[in-house]
Amino acid sequence: MMTGSNNNDAAANAENIAAPELAGEGLLRIEWAKQFMPALSEAGRDLRESGSLAGRRVGIVLALEPKTAVLALTLQEAGAEVAVYADSSSARDSEAAALDSVGVSVFARSDADEAMNAVLLDRFIDFGIEFLIDDGAVATRLIHTSRSDVLDMLVGVAEETTSGVRPLRVMEQEGALAVPCLAVNDCDAKQLFDNIYGTGQSVVMSVIDATNTQLQGKEVVVVGYGLVGSGIAGAAHALGARVTITEIDPIKALKAVHDGYRVQRLREACVTGDVFITATGIGYSLTAAEARLMKDGALLAVGGEGPPEIHLTGDSSVVLGDEVRPNVREVHLEGDRSIFLIADGHCSNITAGEGNPIEIMDLSLAVQCRAVHYLAEHGADLSPAVYDVPSEVADATALAALAQRGIAIDTPTAAQQLDASSWRTNEGENP
Amino acid sequence: MSNAAARSTIADPSLAPAGRKAIAWASRNAPVLNGLLRERLADGSFDGLRVALVVHLEAKTAFLATILADAGAHVVVAGSNPHSTRDDITAGLVDMGIEVHSSRGSSYKQWERDLLSIADTEPEYIIDDGAELTMRMAKHRPELFKRLRGVSEETTTGVARLRSLDEAGRLPFAAMAANDAACKYMFDNRYGTGQSTIQAVLALTNFLMPGKRVAVIGYGWVGRGLANYVRALGGRAVVVEVDPIRSLDAFMEGHEVAPIAEAVIDADIVITATGGMRAVGSAHFPHLKPNAVLANAGHHDLEVDVEALRQESSSARTLREGVTTFDWNDKQINVLAEGALVNIAGGLGHPIEIMDLSFAVQGLSSHELVVGDYAPGVHVLPRRLDEEIARARLASEGITLDTLNDDQFDTIQEWVG
Repeated sequence: MMTGSNNNDAAANAENIAAPELAGEGLLRIEWAKQFMPALSEAGRDLRESGSLAGRRVGIVLALEPKTAVLALTLQEAGAEVAVYADSSSARDSEAAALDSVGVSVFARSDADEAMNAVLLDRFIDFGIEFLIDDGAVATRLIHTSRSDVLDMLVGVAEETTSGVRPLRVMEQEGALAVPCLAVNDCDAKQLFDNIYGTGQSVVMSVIDATNTQLQGKEVVVVGYGLVGSGIAGAAHALGARVTITEIDPIKALKAVHDGYRVQRLREACVTGDVFITATGIGYSLTAAEARLMKDGALLAVGGEGPPEIHLTGDSSVVLGDEVRPNVREVHLEGDRSIFLIADGHCSNITAGEGNPIEIMDLSLAVQCRAVHYLAEHGADLSPAVYDVPSEVADATALAALAQRGIAIDTPTAAQQLDASSWRTNEGENP
Repeated sequence: MSNAAARSTIADPSLAPAGRKAIAWASRNAPVLNGLLRERLADGSFDGLRVALVVHLEAKTAFLATILADAGAHVVVAGSNPHSTRDDITAGLVDMGIEVHSSRGSSYKQWERDLLSIADTEPEYIIDDGAELTMRMAKHRPELFKRLRGVSEETTTGVARLRSLDEAGRLPFAAMAANDAACKYMFDNRYGTGQSTIQAVLALTNFLMPGKRVAVIGYGWVGRGLANYVRALGGRAVVVEVDPIRSLDAFMEGHEVAPIAEAVIDADIVITATGGMRAVGSAHFPHLKPNAVLANAGHHDLEVDVEALRQESSSARTLREGVTTFDWNDKQINVLAEGALVNIAGGLGHPIEIMDLSFAVQGLSSHELVVGDYAPGVHVLPRRLDEEIARARLASEGITLDTLNDDQFDTIQEWVG
């Protein structure tokens, strides 16, 4: 990655946000989202009342849109100084301006090129972050390498995604990790909802929104059957598609078979598929070698992590062409065939859509808020490692979401508790 | 300035490049229009015909206009609802030499003026939506109305209007109920409106469907599609219907069925699909869940009585584009796309592949009116043409069908001789 010293002048001199005049529009959209985020609101109230974050500096690396903006404001209301970074593929200028207008330090421009993104990330890290909410471990990795000058200040990290937790665990194994990290992604209140339902629905909707096509009767190939892949498969199936799964993991492949999907090798599926969505979070999951086999008119989208998950360069018979409609790029193949790449291979639900639905981000960001709360109170006592989010954080988040829907659940009886905690047969019968 | 540009009334001709791109994209995904319909219209029967096209004016409609023009017709185009017209598409059409009278968001008065401009081109045939142009010609241009040679109608609402005219003895020409063709209502109304309405509601609100309670008002083909997609995507549908057979159908399909006052009490989203008026109105506002979202998937802008809601509310504001939040007594009520057809006014309309079928029906219906010998009245597309369309679409997917052998038929023919 480039650093500030060797960037071009345009990047070095750029303002931190692109369009301050859009603040009003952004504030209204934030207001809409906020009213459907009860779990985050409750987590924010607990944090504010604890006073744990008063005067502390929090850095947020997340796709910048109305819901993550609500998180930034919630942390600010709890007394924190807040900075936000988003790279250009996931930055909305209106929300960036809105946060900037109320005193959040924002480093995000939708028009930034690679060099400018690097400059903005560098300035974000200069903020002096104590608590970092990270996405893909982007800032954490940088602070452990070229920006280790600010490492001493960092108390802890809360990581949002599958593809961020993975490198953090590698860092831990190699002894390179210097701070405690909470795997927010792995919290059930996050991954069972965000990854499955949120990403599933929003990725599939973004593909049909961008193309104005239908899924009924289409063959949709989902590459990767983790939580995100299973959600994408479910949403595509619900809309009438025939779904094929490709996997490298035998357990996940067998799960897909039992969920009623066809499982094939990607090379076979490439020949018949109409829509291809990757959900691997791993680079080079779908390359030009597969793309050249595809039918005329096939659509390609990413639901995982983004470039280079779909990587179409390096084959002279696969030629990137023009954007034929917003977020739809034509890719020319041999034999007068064309296929179409959504959002240039960035996560389609974020770049061609508005990210995950509000109610899902309510859960995920409530967990983030409570994770930061936990780090503020316990982070200094934790040794550098990757930790699961405490189960009471997940439970508190789910209960708040249920309560907002007017739903109450049962509590176990004394007999049930005794039976569940005993190993002797029949002991729970007569408590 | 070209002739088409001089005659047209549109918002912004400079948007033509974007419009032409969108029309080209529609063309890519329209195998039946590009195949079967073009072949059928190549018989020269449309040469020099004056054809008015009044359907929601977006990319797919524009593409149909270009096919009719390619077949030699003199085509004039207007939108069937000012909220659904796309200004880039009108500009693209004019740039391609087709006369258009339509602007997005124009007043009701201006929209009627646009329709009468179309009427004054003295069309011989109309491809209509909601019979909006046909009815206005009957009322405001009676002489021109009498000279009409045929109308092909897109919607359930429009067919009902044409039948009413016919029953009153006021339909002096043949009309084709394109809506009643199997390749239209079985796919367009159920899958097209179903998918695209849910798409638009989710896009406008940024909501999640799993866990949502959705009241579907009306269980015709559109309501069926809506309720089934809500369920498939993880929501819970409750159906409101006045027809006992349809209500029983919804019940057997596994949906809850309830009267509206009960159904909306805990509904997060309420979608109307009745084709009537004021399906959700003053009487129902008190029952709505606070912060409920109302959307319309039926024909009329007043299926959700937005006028009454506006009058009864202390204020209204827009937090997100396409969402109007009304302060009604002590609660908020949200209306999507001002109560206009949400999938079109608040989204991209039906998927292209669905409109490929629907417009193939419209195209073949018009062709049938031109070459056939139909008496005044409302007709349905002959079954063989309906089947041709389905077969063409299947063929485009590489699917061929079996045919029955003689020994596979029922023996009744032996009995009746």
